[in-house]
Amino acid sequence: MSVKKTTTIVEQLRRAQMSELLAMNKRLDGRGLKDYRELRIETGLIKKANGSALVSLGNTQVIAGIKVEVDEPFPDMPDKGLFICNAEVLPLASPYAEPGPPDEDAIELARVVDRGIRESEMIALDRLVLISGKKVYAVFADVSVLNTDGNLFDATSYAVVAALLTARVPRYDVQDEKLVKSEETIPLPINTIPVSITMAKIGNSIIVDPNAEEEACMDARITMATDEQGRVCAMQKGGSGTFSVDQLNEVASLAISLGSEVRERIRSSVASSTGGGANSIRSMTS
Amino acid sequence: MSKRYVLPGDLIVEGNPHLKPLANVIRIGDRLHATRIGIVEISQNSVKVIPLSGIYVPRVGDLVIGKVIDYSAMAWEVDINSCFLGHLPAQDVFGKEFSPGRDDLTKRFNIGDVIACRILNFDRTRDPLLTVADKDLGKISEGEVVKISPTKVPRLIGKRGSMIQMIEQLTRCRIVVGQNGVLVVTGVNKDAVHVAVKAIRMVEEGAHTVNLTERVKEMLQGVQVGR
Repeated sequence: MSVKKTTTIVEQLRRAQMSELLAMNKRLDGRGLKDYRELRIETGLIKKANGSALVSLGNTQVIAGIKVEVDEPFPDMPDKGLFICNAEVLPLASPYAEPGPPDEDAIELARVVDRGIRESEMIALDRLVLISGKKVYAVFADVSVLNTDGNLFDATSYAVVAALLTARVPRYDVQDEKLVKSEETIPLPINTIPVSITMAKIGNSIIVDPNAEEEACMDARITMATDEQGRVCAMQKGGSGTFSVDQLNEVASLAISLGSEVRERIRSSVASSTGGGANSIRSMTS
Repeated sequence: MSKRYVLPGDLIVEGNPHLKPLANVIRIGDRLHATRIGIVEISQNSVKVIPLSGIYVPRVGDLVIGKVIDYSAMAWEVDINSCFLGHLPAQDVFGKEFSPGRDDLTKRFNIGDVIACRILNFDRTRDPLLTVADKDLGKISEGEVVKISPTKVPRLIGKRGSMIQMIEQLTRCRIVVGQNGVLVVTGVNKDAVHVAVKAIRMVEEGAHTVNLTERVKEMLQGVQVGR
């Protein structure tokens, strides 16, 4: 991430207090080093979208919408559907966000979220093909950040994942090489639930889910996405600081253990909000 | 008298030319209207609205606690928790002989420093002018920074400083209160500061309730007995 002038400046007093507390394994907001902020997930809020989710992680708030259309596949991948993720930080979300096209941080955000979902193969893209090489489902995930208080990566990732899990798309029948839209809707083919965990390094401490203040003080951050089998499938590091090999191992095992906790949270909120009608994992209705 | 809550634009009284509109009240014809969300207070010859929420609007003479967020060759920019950015000219610190070539602004205040300052001049057309040239003003090098809603500052101070003095005495802490809702708490130890911050939060949350002073006192004495 580039060093922008317009980021939160933390008071030197707060900074000193933070490092003092970190030395005692505590944080300014009272959390432990490995504690998450309160995570709330609501789904199905946008009626016109195929799927949607509103996620709040502490004061960070993100809304994601899924729109599914029929499109042509990429020429080099004729037998795969499309998945495209875009993110935008609304000017209302933070005093530092400006209107206009997404800046490099927003682009990084979209790419990191996209990578977690793509590389974990959450969506079975090969099952989104309608007519090979000609017509496939294109899944668009559009994210708007409503409020920023650090860790947009995870909040956005959970929002997109929850929205994908609850999305229902129109079913198309192929008749004589032509597509006929049916009234019926079907869920997306889901393989796994990827969970992204972002950790920051301040001094020698590694903290999970940094808030805006901690992000302003961190030396480096790392985001890891894991799948249901506990495999690390995507990673992104930011900041000028470094992680030692031991620290990387610690970070990876944290991402796996916390990831499974969060995965259960996503699963249960998706199930409860849709009255048990959430897309069942690995079962695509035909 | 029961408390009356008003929204911006609400009619407070009509047809009483003797009532003077004070804070957050305007006169339109013979009607007095509220300009902010708050509680109406009508005295014998004036009406005012005690705001329940809102940002800090600088007033000349206010003590504020700000955070240095930038500097140029001639001045510091200070975040005073308002929609206006405080402007602290270098002459204020270095004196009339200040020379941008010779004097390094960062030697005195650097980005991220917390400073206590006073509003010297402000007329809404330009950024508020600050000064640190007075006793007790300048860089604050220790303590815990606490932010509360600026509208709750009068309640935290209390009648003639009763509330803040009570908290200070019972926790043996020193609390510097900026009118902009930023406070710095310093105390004999961390526990004392922690209790003082808890009391401040209690005042902030219950600013509009009755018997608040008593409840805060009870809480603070309870903690001291337990220690």
